[in-house]
Amino acid sequence: MSEQDFYQEFEVFSRKNPRSGLMHQFSLLAPNEEMAMILAQENFMRREEVMDIWVVPSSSIRHMTDEEREALTQRIDNKNYRTTKAYGYLRKKWQDKEQGMLDEQEIMSWKEVKKNRG
Amino acid sequence: MYHYLEHQKGSKTNEDPILYDNFMQRIENGDKIEANDWMPAEYRDTLIKLISMHGISEIMGALPEKEWVPKAPSLERKLAIMAKVQDEMGHGQLLLRVTEDLMKPYGRNRQHLMEDLLSGRLKFHNVFHMPTKTWADAGMVGWLVDGAAIISQTNMLDASYGPYQRALQRICKEEVFHAQHGESIIMALAEGTEDQRKILQDSLNRWWPSLLMFFGPASAETTGSSKQEITIKYNIRKSTNEELRQAFLDKYMPRVFSLGLTVPDETMHYDDVQEKWIYQQPDWNEFKLIIQNKGPRSKARLKVREIAYSNNSWVREALAVAGGDRP
Repeated sequence: MSEQDFYQEFEVFSRKNPRSGLMHQFSLLAPNEEMAMILAQENFMRREEVMDIWVVPSSSIRHMTDEEREALTQRIDNKNYRTTKAYGYLRKKWQDKEQGMLDEQEIMSWKEVKKNRG
Repeated sequence: MYHYLEHQKGSKTNEDPILYDNFMQRIENGDKIEANDWMPAEYRDTLIKLISMHGISEIMGALPEKEWVPKAPSLERKLAIMAKVQDEMGHGQLLLRVTEDLMKPYGRNRQHLMEDLLSGRLKFHNVFHMPTKTWADAGMVGWLVDGAAIISQTNMLDASYGPYQRALQRICKEEVFHAQHGESIIMALAEGTEDQRKILQDSLNRWWPSLLMFFGPASAETTGSSKQEITIKYNIRKSTNEELRQAFLDKYMPRVFSLGLTVPDETMHYDDVQEKWIYQQPDWNEFKLIIQNKGPRSKARLKVREIAYSNNSWVREALAVAGGDRP
């Protein structure tokens, strides 16, 4: 069998920790997905922090063409209405009322709520 | 590891001028080209030649180092040099993968690269045709050969070809470990006994011409037009062979001298007026012979590669079957 038929291309993705997204590492050649999994660890995870690995046959991935990627850069640029940028003026207003701004840092810190209060 | 750029005849571009201009505009804007994007044939061919040689040199470079795994002087040194050898093979895998995508339109794959290596069509880096005679040589490869490799690889961290540039980010991070691994061996010898200092100095004397050759000849005067200009034109790398060699000397000469080592070239000095290192040219005719697989260890290393490939064919077959059983 020639190597052309023996090997398949796989794309390798991994997750550092439960909070992080899956990240594309690179691609590799392997005869099947079990070997792809072993080679992914050997090739890309010798030192890296990792808790999960995915291997996907490259042929299963629908890539963007360069025109499509180019189009992504042409999207309308003023998206302030979708972000907190449009509301930055509130910081000053709240300051005048001696109140803090409920910004991302503040809201993301609300994980912990005081206990034993009924 | 990495390589000098060979000189080649300038190829002409008979590309669609609109596509070509658009392409040049993209790389001048710092945009990265991806595997399936349109690219001029000259760009593709330059990348194939550059990256296949880089990849195959990583694999051939592991051979002189792996000779020192059984002979490493302590368990810690053995583990460290094994880790480094494995890294080099990993770098080879990354770079061959990048080359394979570029070669697809030509119907060529990894098998063809291996055949080209064994037939001598695909060259590997001059330094890996040389013997490693003592443990100091193992240190010298890690310190100065990898040091030279780091200089040339970091010069391409912003390369216009996305997949190569991403492979280099990963490779250069691992090279930091290799650099310090080499320094650690060198430092132990430099601060060791008289015999240890002697094998270190002997090793540097032996490796000196190879280190100068590493970056390739400064100009194309003898061999026609230069591939360095093509790689710079396409924002693959930033600097010329000589600029890289000078950068290497800037970084490493003060360190060499601080260890009480000398180089086997009495004319070697830094010229404050010209702001560059003055050194005696290595024998470039010898360089040409070495990269034509006529170096001291060229044939033996290619033989190791060939034997490894054929001896391990049953492993490849067995793994293919074992993995295939899973539903």
